[in-house]
Amino acid sequence: MLQPKKSKYRKQQKGMMKGNAGRGHQLAFGSFGIKTLEEGWITSRQLEAARQAVTRYMKREGQIWIRIFPDKPVTKKPAEVRMGKGKGAPEYFVARVTPGRIMFEAEGVPVEVAKEALRLAAQKLPVTTKFVVRRDYTS
Amino acid sequence: MKTVSLSGSLRENVGKKDAKKIRKDGNIPCVLYGGKEQIHFTLEKLAFDKIIFTPDVFLVNLDLGGSNFQAILQDVQYHPVTDSVLHADFLEIIPGKPVTVAIPVQLEGTAPGIMAGGRLNLKLRKLRVRGLVEDLPEYIVIDVSKLNIGNSVKVKEVGIDKLQFLDTQTGVVVNVKTARGALEDEEEEEDEDEEGTEGAEGEATEAPAES
Repeated sequence: MLQPKKSKYRKQQKGMMKGNAGRGHQLAFGSFGIKTLEEGWITSRQLEAARQAVTRYMKREGQIWIRIFPDKPVTKKPAEVRMGKGKGAPEYFVARVTPGRIMFEAEGVPVEVAKEALRLAAQKLPVTTKFVVRRDYTS
Repeated sequence: MKTVSLSGSLRENVGKKDAKKIRKDGNIPCVLYGGKEQIHFTLEKLAFDKIIFTPDVFLVNLDLGGSNFQAILQDVQYHPVTDSVLHADFLEIIPGKPVTVAIPVQLEGTAPGIMAGGRLNLKLRKLRVRGLVEDLPEYIVIDVSKLNIGNSVKVKEVGIDKLQFLDTQTGVVVNVKTARGALEDEEEEEDEDEEGTEGAEGEATEAPAES
């Protein structure tokens, strides 16, 4: 699963997300991709599940790119613990996405295969997505 | 280089409110620069789509309020979610002044590596070049008829007269890789061969024991 090699601070505040994606909203590597239409947190487990879904459907042909990285630690308090006594322990990492952000890109497979593979990937993600194709794509 | 003619109308006002109104009317706010002065104008969305939904690069003849300009499309801004065009930049062509353009790559011939089970992989769909507009080709044609499995064509090997290539010189434009399917098949065949030989050995060893 994707996670930072090292981080300056172990715990982060929740933060706030506003507006659409300011960068990473156009295809940069492949001919096909999925972009989110909502804002949300994508956990590293969800990303890995989506990656596996794409790779399996594409039968290890072609190439995929993951355009987001889960670099935000999320903490959680243990079960049945009273409030207070400090912030919980880091539990997992998430990537923050805002509307328009391209999450996965694919290349080297026909458009129908890419569409189905990325649809399967989208099912593993907690946001609504849209399939996008490069503007100058010719089959 | 392909040529296309577009006619636009000059913008009376600039600013967010005016730009929003232009987009609502089905037009695109544009700017032309590189010449004596900046010109703000609008183009019809349907006419503009012809030059962005294609891999080709166009020399655009702009007709703006009676005056004509030659330009190339320099930059386009898209909406992050809807992917609609928000704004376009055109760079005016000044005779004798070089321009930087990304020219599409076109492959020619059949690579022998493909016949041998390889997979042709076009890594760079466009190459950034700098040169005079009259020297710019429509496509950069790359001959792949000598590419075997494991071979590649690099940017420095493309070389066209009067053009300066701005991409990394050692960057791979196109290569032929062994297809994963072919690799797996080979592995399976090897496994089968090994099993076959093992089986034969086994039979050979078993045979005397039976007798």
